[in-house]
Amino acid sequence: MKITALLVLKCNPDGSSDPVILANATDVSHFGYFQRSSVKEFIVFVGRTVAKRTPPSQRQSVQHEEYKVHSYNRNGLCALGFMDDDYPVRSVFSLLNQVLDEYQKNFGDSWKAVQTDCSQAWPYLDEALTRFQDPAQADKLLKIQRELDETKIILHKTIDSVLERGEKLDSLVEKSSDLSTASQMFYKQAKKTNQCCTIL
Amino acid sequence: MSEADPSGYAEPSSLLYRLEFILESDPLIDEVGFVHPSQFAALSDMSGSPSLSSMSMEPQSDKSKLKASQVNPTDMAFWSRDHKLGISTQAIHPLYNAAKHAFCSSLEQYKLLIHLNPKKVGLDSDNVSNVSSLATLECEVMKHSRALLLLSCDFGTAWNCRKEVVSKKQNMMLYLDELLVSTLVLSYSPKSERAWSHRRWVVKMIAGKCKNLQEILKNESELAQRIAEKSKMNYRAWNYRCWLVSYMPENQVINELIKYRDWAGLHVADNSCFHYRTRLLTRTLADSFYKQDLKASHVHTTAEVCQLWKEELSWSEILIKRYIGREALWLYRRFLALCWIKHFAARMGGTHVESFVDNELQLFRSCTTVPDNQMDEPQSVETGEKVGEELEKVLNKVCPEKAFLWDLVRKKNGGLI
Repeated sequence: MKITALLVLKCNPDGSSDPVILANATDVSHFGYFQRSSVKEFIVFVGRTVAKRTPPSQRQSVQHEEYKVHSYNRNGLCALGFMDDDYPVRSVFSLLNQVLDEYQKNFGDSWKAVQTDCSQAWPYLDEALTRFQDPAQADKLLKIQRELDETKIILHKTIDSVLERGEKLDSLVEKSSDLSTASQMFYKQAKKTNQCCTIL
Repeated sequence: MSEADPSGYAEPSSLLYRLEFILESDPLIDEVGFVHPSQFAALSDMSGSPSLSSMSMEPQSDKSKLKASQVNPTDMAFWSRDHKLGISTQAIHPLYNAAKHAFCSSLEQYKLLIHLNPKKVGLDSDNVSNVSSLATLECEVMKHSRALLLLSCDFGTAWNCRKEVVSKKQNMMLYLDELLVSTLVLSYSPKSERAWSHRRWVVKMIAGKCKNLQEILKNESELAQRIAEKSKMNYRAWNYRCWLVSYMPENQVINELIKYRDWAGLHVADNSCFHYRTRLLTRTLADSFYKQDLKASHVHTTAEVCQLWKEELSWSEILIKRYIGREALWLYRRFLALCWIKHFAARMGGTHVESFVDNELQLFRSCTTVPDNQMDEPQSVETGEKVGEELEKVLNKVCPEKAFLWDLVRKKNGGLI
């Protein structure tokens, strides 16, 4: 079980502009030393891309290589989790729910006015990232939340199925300001050689 | 040679020299990576700590060991800090050519010298010059082969000549150094077959002669796990780990099982991890039988093993109930159940076998109820069917008289199985 990252974003209701990052807790220690900065950039890029395409009140899980990106948009406040394939899906969403609850408790509605990415760390999120590496911890939350909304989770087998018709991941990668030249180069390289172990 | 010219990193042989210099000056380097030139600045910011062997931006006056003409103070080919070595992707091609050329020529000379002096060089005082030439050539071959392997992990000739040079000397430290070279190669290519087999070679060579073999095996096991965790579906890492078991003493086998139980519990989809546990457990059985054959009165050891198996069974049950529908867990339980019935249950007397099978059926039944909510693992239905087949096989093999129970379970589940 591994949680690589937890993010909180602010999504615009019409999905027109890119979501803004409110909080970001990432653990890249299990990646190679030289891959870490690229991985962090990809997490931001993929997180923004998926959050932008998660309509309000929807939950979805996107498979991307050996990772799953889980997203829950609750009235414009969106929580995202980057987990490996092992992590049970039900535990993920109870965790994301908890994250959103805590965020609203701590920051109220101040997030609605935020216009640019927030670079300050949110201690709760960093701590949650460590604590919930064991999904049994997340399951303790599940007991309280089982009665909550019954919205279905939409599962996507690839990240392409989240994109609109005509949109290609390659062109998004190229246009993105979240990714440095180096990261873009690694992305293209990995695609070319079709490695089984890519960055993200 | 200006910075702006990406192909002008000075001569390729100078690149090779610089790489080998870095490797010599920091024997603790444990990771190699290939980086885009644009990342060098970012890397320096990231690490923060002052560099001891970084070759960028340092004034030439500090490089007393190197001739000024060989050092480009704005070196953008190598980055080294915190025992990590980064090689610019743009330098790889010329560097590889230089390394291969240097290695092949030094190997040729080395082989020539060996051929000309088939008797053991070193014992004959007339051949003093040959001895020193041999030593120099050995050094060259080792130096160049290491640089080459950092660029081409499966260069068989390089690995083999290292084996040849090291096996001629009877020096334990050299063997351990080979493990370090392999670790370095695995850091950028964790599935390299040659790197893993090189480790097997080292263990085989030192097995009889080493006092702290157990310590070495412990580190090897840990390394295999670390690498397997970082690179998914790394069959070679797990295969190596299973192979190590045959060299482990009995207490170490038991220790491995207990020590890595929690880790296994967090990797329930990793079948290789559970396969490793079956290897360890099979070994405990083999040890027990061996002792019994010798008619040794080691009853307490067998009791310890029995207890271990019991714990493993109950732990496996907890995991199965917690993570519904994990095939690896069910396959593992099949192994545990079968071995338990065969080797331990008979000694428990009376109705133990029956109650054990009943418990298994109970467990199976409780896991096949398909829940209503949508949040379940998609594999669980398929797995349920597979488990059904497995259990049927076990039942028919072990106690055919219980086969009727199977029909009962089927009926109760509404023909779901």
